[in-house]
Amino acid sequence: MQRFLSTNSTVTAPVSVDVPLLSNQDVIMNISLIKEYHENMSKKDASLFVMQGLQRLGIAHVAYKRNPALTSEERFRAMLLRAAMVKDALIVIDRPFKIISHLENAGFLFQSLSEIDDLFIHCHIFEYRWMKEKYGDLCL
Amino acid sequence: MSIKSVFDSGYLKLLRSCAKIEFLTDMGCSMEWIEKIGRSIGKAGKSFGGTLAFSGKVLARMLRRKTYSSATREVLVNQIYFTSVQILPAFLLVSILFSSLLVGIVFQVLKDFGLTEFFGHVLMGLIVTELSPIFAVLLITLRSASAINVEMAVMKSNRELKTLETFRIDLMNYLVVPRIINGMVSMVLLSSLFAIVLMASGVLFSGLIFDMSVDVYRNILLNSTSFSDIFIALVKCAIFGFFITLIPIRFGLRATSELTSVPVVVSGGMVNVFLAVLIIEVLSLLTKLL
Amino acid sequence: MPVSRDFKVGLFIVCTAAILFLSLAYLAVGKGFFENVHTFTLSSKSGDGFTEGMPVVFSGFNIGKVHALELNEKGVVLIKIKIPQRHIQWIKSDSEFILYRPLIGSARIVVNSENLASPTLDENMIPEVMLINDINDAIARIEPVLERIIQIAENVEQLTRVLSDPKGDFNRTLANAEKITANLAGKKSLLEMAVSDEASVKSVHEALKKMQDITVRLDDLLKKTDEQLYHQEGTLPQVNAILKDLLGKLQRLDKTIDNINQISTDTSEGMKDFRFLRSDIDDVVNAIDGVVKKIDGIVGSKKDLEFKVP
Repeated sequence: MQRFLSTNSTVTAPVSVDVPLLSNQDVIMNISLIKEYHENMSKKDASLFVMQGLQRLGIAHVAYKRNPALTSEERFRAMLLRAAMVKDALIVIDRPFKIISHLENAGFLFQSLSEIDDLFIHCHIFEYRWMKEKYGDLCL
Repeated sequence: MSIKSVFDSGYLKLLRSCAKIEFLTDMGCSMEWIEKIGRSIGKAGKSFGGTLAFSGKVLARMLRRKTYSSATREVLVNQIYFTSVQILPAFLLVSILFSSLLVGIVFQVLKDFGLTEFFGHVLMGLIVTELSPIFAVLLITLRSASAINVEMAVMKSNRELKTLETFRIDLMNYLVVPRIINGMVSMVLLSSLFAIVLMASGVLFSGLIFDMSVDVYRNILLNSTSFSDIFIALVKCAIFGFFITLIPIRFGLRATSELTSVPVVVSGGMVNVFLAVLIIEVLSLLTKLL
Repeated sequence: MPVSRDFKVGLFIVCTAAILFLSLAYLAVGKGFFENVHTFTLSSKSGDGFTEGMPVVFSGFNIGKVHALELNEKGVVLIKIKIPQRHIQWIKSDSEFILYRPLIGSARIVVNSENLASPTLDENMIPEVMLINDINDAIARIEPVLERIIQIAENVEQLTRVLSDPKGDFNRTLANAEKITANLAGKKSLLEMAVSDEASVKSVHEALKKMQDITVRLDDLLKKTDEQLYHQEGTLPQVNAILKDLLGKLQRLDKTIDNINQISTDTSEGMKDFRFLRSDIDDVVNAIDGVVKKIDGIVGSKKDLEFKVP
């Protein structure tokens, strides 16, 4: 995965427990930061854009909460939206079941991805082989 | 007999070797002590050099227009809000109380010692240009610099800095520059505010203690004010602001992924901030003397 | 309407910067930063005591400062002072410029303008600066004091030399004192220390014993006297009884005296009648005397044995 990230370093946007949300900022700031920094988008526009994304993912209520106050699902979706904020994003989800350990299958992951599928170009999920059955027919 | 003699000579050898070992250990200790001093000096020098190099990098970034993205500006606004605006009412209240007390005591002491003629110089040269920056330094160091130090250390421990790097967000642009600019701006503005409050309370106390009219007070102030002193004081405030935020950031970034490293880097950072304040104060006094 | 964080920060920066700027502008205007400044040149034989930036004072007020110091080709120090337009009126053609170096505080150039009606000093004129040096004055005053201090120090040195001399008076006195204390330390009692004779101490002891005996006897005597005087049948109770009796009698005597007083009063009043009585008696005596004379006449002229009574 590291090799993959380094070869696509300009567009990769990881979703991983190793890339946590900033704990001293609320969710909306964590996500809008990407647009503000990379595209110099104004705070107002970035916040509006992020809020729309949060609404699409059904987690608008967590916009002004900070990382420790989120459930695993909310945290995953926030991290996913943050990754999707990268322009022409190549989203890399690293061991999603490590982020939401109680999930029985990957249905929630794919549902979340489908809700914002216009915000990214590709998505790669990296997972251990022994978790293969949780993904069903979708694995390569 | 032969066995004994061998034993004896062995015993002697052992004694000699003990003496030798002891001697070496003593020498070793003293050498180690000197080495320790040398190492500490080297370490301090290296740290000082590192801080200066880091300052250079930050200054270079500060002068680059590209640094000021929307995100950086937002962080800057937030930092100024938390450092200066949020505490402004309390700061003004404390300034009024403290400056009244200070000016009252200083004026009374001058009157008691018959040094009334130096009152303008004491007010401008000592209280306004020296004590006002120190007051603001104390406030910003205790409230913001310590918070910045902990914030950086915790972000490093939580791998949040790695997150920013992963998303190709420059730490220097996003974290360091806005905090340092905030330090400089807040220091200059807050110490100026304190100085103005102080001079205003001077009007009151000069009337009460010296029975001095506002016009006389104004004239004395004008006569004892030197623009070079004010300029030095403002530059000193900016330098104070620069270093009392830069050093905590630098030390905070030294934290490891272990949470136990946080208190270590925080205490180290704060001690170094104190040393930096002393050094800057001495340098500013030397500049004034020269 | 909630105020955004950006607005608050902006307001703070703008307001504080404006206050700072206005304060600096006020100072600049007050200090004559934007005023027209005149430069005058003063001269002095020595540049000692002059510094750039030194204040120029008139009647205790700063009116300008030393701008530059130069040494001309004649070896004269030229002091250029800058005076703002509003203070130019104090610099007159006959003004005196004095370098005043106080003992405490910074040196300054003091301007004395006796005649304010004089014309303003021409910028091309170069008046000379006079010197007043408090430090030199103070040194001149301190010199005699220092001499006296040196004398005192010499005396003290002499004293210490005498004191430290092992054959000196002081050390000899100390040696004697040591001997006396050593001698005293060998005695059994304070008395022996005082009289330094054991026989005298013994006689004092005996005298004291005798004194003790005498006091014992005196004590007995006093006891007896006590008994005689204060016992129930002693002298003092009896005297008391007599006095009490006497007091009763005196009280009674008081009444008698009162009576006597009454009598004397009455007598005194009776005495008033005595005059009338006396005059009556006198009249009677005179009458009798007349009668006697008549009788004598009768008896003398008539040799009759009988005569007629009136």
